[in-house]
Amino acid sequence: MTLRVRPLALYGSVFVLLLYAPIALIVGYSFNANVVNMMLWEGFTFDWYRAILGLPTTLGRAANHVDTTTSLRAAVVNSAVVAIAATVVSTLVGTAAALALGRAPFRGRRAWQGLLVLPMVMPDIVLGIALLVFFTTVGLPLGRGSIVVGHCVFLSSYVWVIVSARLAGLSTDLEQASADLGAAPFTTFRRVTLPLLAFIISLDDLVITWFIAGVDATTLPMFIYGALRRGIKPEINAMATLLLGFSFVVAATGLWLRGRRL
Amino acid sequence: MSVAAHARWRRRALLAPAGLLLAAAFVGPLLLVASFSVLEPGLYGGVEWHWYPYNFGRVLGAPLGDVEEFDAAYATTLARSVKLALLVTLVSVAVCYPAAWWVSRLPPRRRALALFVVTLPFFANLIVRVYAWMLILRPTGVLNLVLAALGAGDAATDLMYTEAAVVIGLVYVLLPFMFLPLYASIEKLDPALLAASRDLGATPAQTFVRVALPLTLPGIVGGAAIVFIPALGNFVVPSLLGGSKVMLAGNLIEQQFLAARNWPFGAALAMLLLAFVLVVMLAAAWRRGTRGAVA
Repeated sequence: MTLRVRPLALYGSVFVLLLYAPIALIVGYSFNANVVNMMLWEGFTFDWYRAILGLPTTLGRAANHVDTTTSLRAAVVNSAVVAIAATVVSTLVGTAAALALGRAPFRGRRAWQGLLVLPMVMPDIVLGIALLVFFTTVGLPLGRGSIVVGHCVFLSSYVWVIVSARLAGLSTDLEQASADLGAAPFTTFRRVTLPLLAFIISLDDLVITWFIAGVDATTLPMFIYGALRRGIKPEINAMATLLLGFSFVVAATGLWLRGRRL
Repeated sequence: MSVAAHARWRRRALLAPAGLLLAAAFVGPLLLVASFSVLEPGLYGGVEWHWYPYNFGRVLGAPLGDVEEFDAAYATTLARSVKLALLVTLVSVAVCYPAAWWVSRLPPRRRALALFVVTLPFFANLIVRVYAWMLILRPTGVLNLVLAALGAGDAATDLMYTEAAVVIGLVYVLLPFMFLPLYASIEKLDPALLAASRDLGATPAQTFVRVALPLTLPGIVGGAAIVFIPALGNFVVPSLLGGSKVMLAGNLIEQQFLAARNWPFGAALAMLLLAFVLVVMLAAAWRRGTRGAVA
């Protein structure tokens, strides 16, 4: 038995290492002082952080440094406003639905459950273009408002699943309904999440937002995606590290709270 | 008002917000896209509101009796997407299965910690996780720096903008989706069954193939479905790691909507993508159904 366990433990450690190594690289490089070749380590600096925060730096012109602080700040504000609004609305909508569907069975309950599961199993891109076509055809302007609506569609479903699970302990009915629709894994997933994480999911979304943001409501992931398509720059390391730290703190808090309630 | 009637009204009031939201911003838009897929593209974007089946003809060609608009490149792109999504699914199962097994056999306290550690990276922003692989795979990237440092500079490879890069990126991004369902089903696997199989003279390989694998199949099927679907439609990973060399279905759809502004054709492509997704979901549900009947 011990012979069988050891290679497995080794594999497990390598697995975890490979999971974290790529993101650890970003964090490491975000402190690299090399302004000529960002891939070669040349010493420690906070300059990239100072640069994205709009503070004076010692970078000089060698880094071909373009100041994008204003648009970055706008993207952060857009992301925060959207994530807060979408989390509040979808928590209300999803919780109400969970309360209605959690009680005694009634005719049409399975249909409601099926409808609520669908936005989670739909490929993001299809939801994104559907919303784009809809907003444009109806004549609603694209912007923060349209992004909030789009995020509420899939976040309400997440909240519904999580709250239902909380209400019912382990409802076999719900598990069956979502399993029939190919969503069994999501019921696994809900065990490690919390409505608080709706905020992180909203903050993370790029694909749906990409289609319905219009020209003025660039969010943080869109900003980074756009920057990456133009080419890799050291500032992106600093941005990514800050975002990474924020997501991890919020997610870890959520997972920790969830663990305490179990 | 009777108790039953009161319960009914309460339920309606609670379901109204979700119903309105999903009807207006989900079902309606999807029906709109479905109808766009059979409308004629307008000359300057937008649509002409009359019947026009040739959007599908551009992709599927001959079976629809439409050879004029047909371009094999579209069908090729769809086929490549399906191929890579399948590959991503297979690699994910192979990578995650031993890891999930390892976590499920840890003592409870360490298992909780390991689950936390494995789940946490999933909450890192998608774009950040893809970017990490751009740093690693680009020609001047970490991979080649490491190879050079090891004295294997000749082995330096340019994986950036290849199918391999796209597969690596998608596997990394979708890994937790595979890990969690696998873990859930391996955890339920009764070690006594494995012991019994060995006691009855089965080799470890036989025990794995004939006992462990069938019993954990629901997790494999669930994980496969949930990895395959986003792998098929993803356009962020192929656009950053595949560039213009590895176009996938998602890129094609994105292009039709945001660059080419041929919405009806984009809608037709999206419908084809949905058809694949539907097949996968039905297959997964059917697989579970037959297993349920046996068990």
